[in-house]
Amino acid sequence: MGRPRIGAQFGRQFRPDGHFDRSAAHKPILVLDGVVKVFRADAPVLRRVDLTIERGEFVFVTGPSGAGKSTLLKLVYRAETVDEGRILFCGRDIARLTDESVPFLRRNIGVVFQDFKLIPYWSVFENVAVALEVAGMPSRIIRSRVAMALERVGLAGRGEDLASVLSGGEQQRVAVARAIVNEPAIVLADEPTGNLDPVLALDVLGLFEEIHEAGTTVMFATHDRTLLEQSPQHRLIVIDDGRTIEARQGLRAVGGAFAAQREHADADDATATARLPL
Amino acid sequence: MKVVSRALRGVREHVRTQVVSVATVALALFCLAASALVAQNIGELSRRWGGPVRMTVYLADGANAEQVDALRAALGSLPEVQNARYVSPTESRALVAGDDRVMASASAELFPATVELALAPGAADSARIESLATRVRRLPTVSDVETYQGITGQLQSVLSSGRNAALIFGVIVLLCAIAVVSNTVRLSLHARMREVEVLRLVGASPRYVRSPFLAEGALLGGGGAVLAVALLAVVFFMVRGRLDMMSGSIGMRPVFLSLPLLAAFVLGGAGLGATGSALAVRRWLKV
Ligand SMILES: Nc1ncnc2c1ncn2[C@@H]1O[C@H](COP(=O)(O)OP(=O)(O)O)[C@@H](O)[C@H]1O
Ligand SMILES: [Mg+2]
Repeated sequence: MGRPRIGAQFGRQFRPDGHFDRSAAHKPILVLDGVVKVFRADAPVLRRVDLTIERGEFVFVTGPSGAGKSTLLKLVYRAETVDEGRILFCGRDIARLTDESVPFLRRNIGVVFQDFKLIPYWSVFENVAVALEVAGMPSRIIRSRVAMALERVGLAGRGEDLASVLSGGEQQRVAVARAIVNEPAIVLADEPTGNLDPVLALDVLGLFEEIHEAGTTVMFATHDRTLLEQSPQHRLIVIDDGRTIEARQGLRAVGGAFAAQREHADADDATATARLPL
Repeated sequence: MKVVSRALRGVREHVRTQVVSVATVALALFCLAASALVAQNIGELSRRWGGPVRMTVYLADGANAEQVDALRAALGSLPEVQNARYVSPTESRALVAGDDRVMASASAELFPATVELALAPGAADSARIESLATRVRRLPTVSDVETYQGITGQLQSVLSSGRNAALIFGVIVLLCAIAVVSNTVRLSLHARMREVEVLRLVGASPRYVRSPFLAEGALLGGGGAVLAVALLAVVFFMVRGRLDMMSGSIGMRPVFLSLPLLAAFVLGGAGLGATGSALAVRRWLKV
């Protein structure tokens, strides 16, 4: 399978003008800059979020239910729009993306949900292939790519089965295969283990870690403490009172790339860990 | 054709709704096609009967050949008259009797001598026909004039009111068919909301999301039209079989809708279905 050609693929597919933006490969994959999201004026969900995620990071996003984890991810795949601030995805402000460009953005982002979001009456193959079909890919390539994706999630040879006959854990694997089949630059997971028992939850976490190992950036939202403890090497961001707090630096967060942010985060670190029920 | 298979992929999930929908559309379009068929045949009938407007001038008994010739020439030179033809009693007898042996053996004197006038197309309105008839009646050697105005006028008015009724009925039926398709596609949309959600999530363009629903509508409409035409053909050829005995008295053999008309009908059905689904998609599918 090899490492996905993140930069080139993104540059080609995302920019509607087809111009490959070489500089994008050196920029952080995701930058949230003063992001504000308000549903009800008296209780803003995100007050002011500044956050930088580098290529190849694995980031946990946590916080109590209703903190705004899902909202944060939705802003990234443009299911919601920011009220203030910028979200730079590979250097491009997706908050100002035209509606016509949103599908192109989504083809570069894989998303996995708590409820799988599979079509029960489609086969496993169809459920994964849909992510390539919408981009008009030839069916020969679709077949081989789907087979590879199913193999990566441990479902090789299950393509013909109906999605509805699979167990919960297997269904979530299909959803992961769908999210990665297009080799997206980043995979967002919104409580992907929320519907699974603890053993399966760890399984699925392991799957995301494999995907991360292969070079994909992962943003994993969860409020399951077991998972956070299971993988202490990953960066951990807590959403608290509408702001993000850097609670734990990931292993990758060493070096100058975002030293400035680390300083800022270090200042909050003590309070954040104190508040965190870890 | 990928879009058709995507449309069908969802159809298999709620076959019954689709069947009911196609049947309803077929029934509606059947009524429409049937009235088109009737209108077409009545139109054909009126063209045959109507033809160019005619007038028959009956000659007085005992008019001699010279007088007749002079009259025919005079009538033929009138600006309203395109053609004037003398029909002798013998010819009259042959025309009326046809194959009837008894009639054919009757004395020719029982039949009138006439001059048949075909009027110029510009002179076909009833006012001018009446004034012409009045002038011709005053001529010597003319006993009477038949203008056929009573029959033609009645036929015309029956035909035009029939056409209007069919037109109004047709519009209502079309609106109903659109509503039925629209409603079916709405059900289909609701049944497939999850698919729509997934498609949008993985980056389908709005057009990609909408197209199978439009295709579904077009298929429902087109399928309904094909069914309607097939049903109409069956009914038509059965009825015509019965009618064949009396077709002599009608003066023509009823004909089925022409191929181009049938093609237009099926295409129209598909277009109608697409319209219905477009309405549903616009109203219910936010992409
Ligand atoms: N579309 C919406 N309209 C109104 N309020 C919303 C909407 N989406 C989320 N919220 C509110 O925003 C807050 C954060 O929700 P969410 O991001 O789903 O939290 P989490 O995923 O961390 O549990 C909640 O109070 C929720 O009620
Ligand atoms: Mg949530």
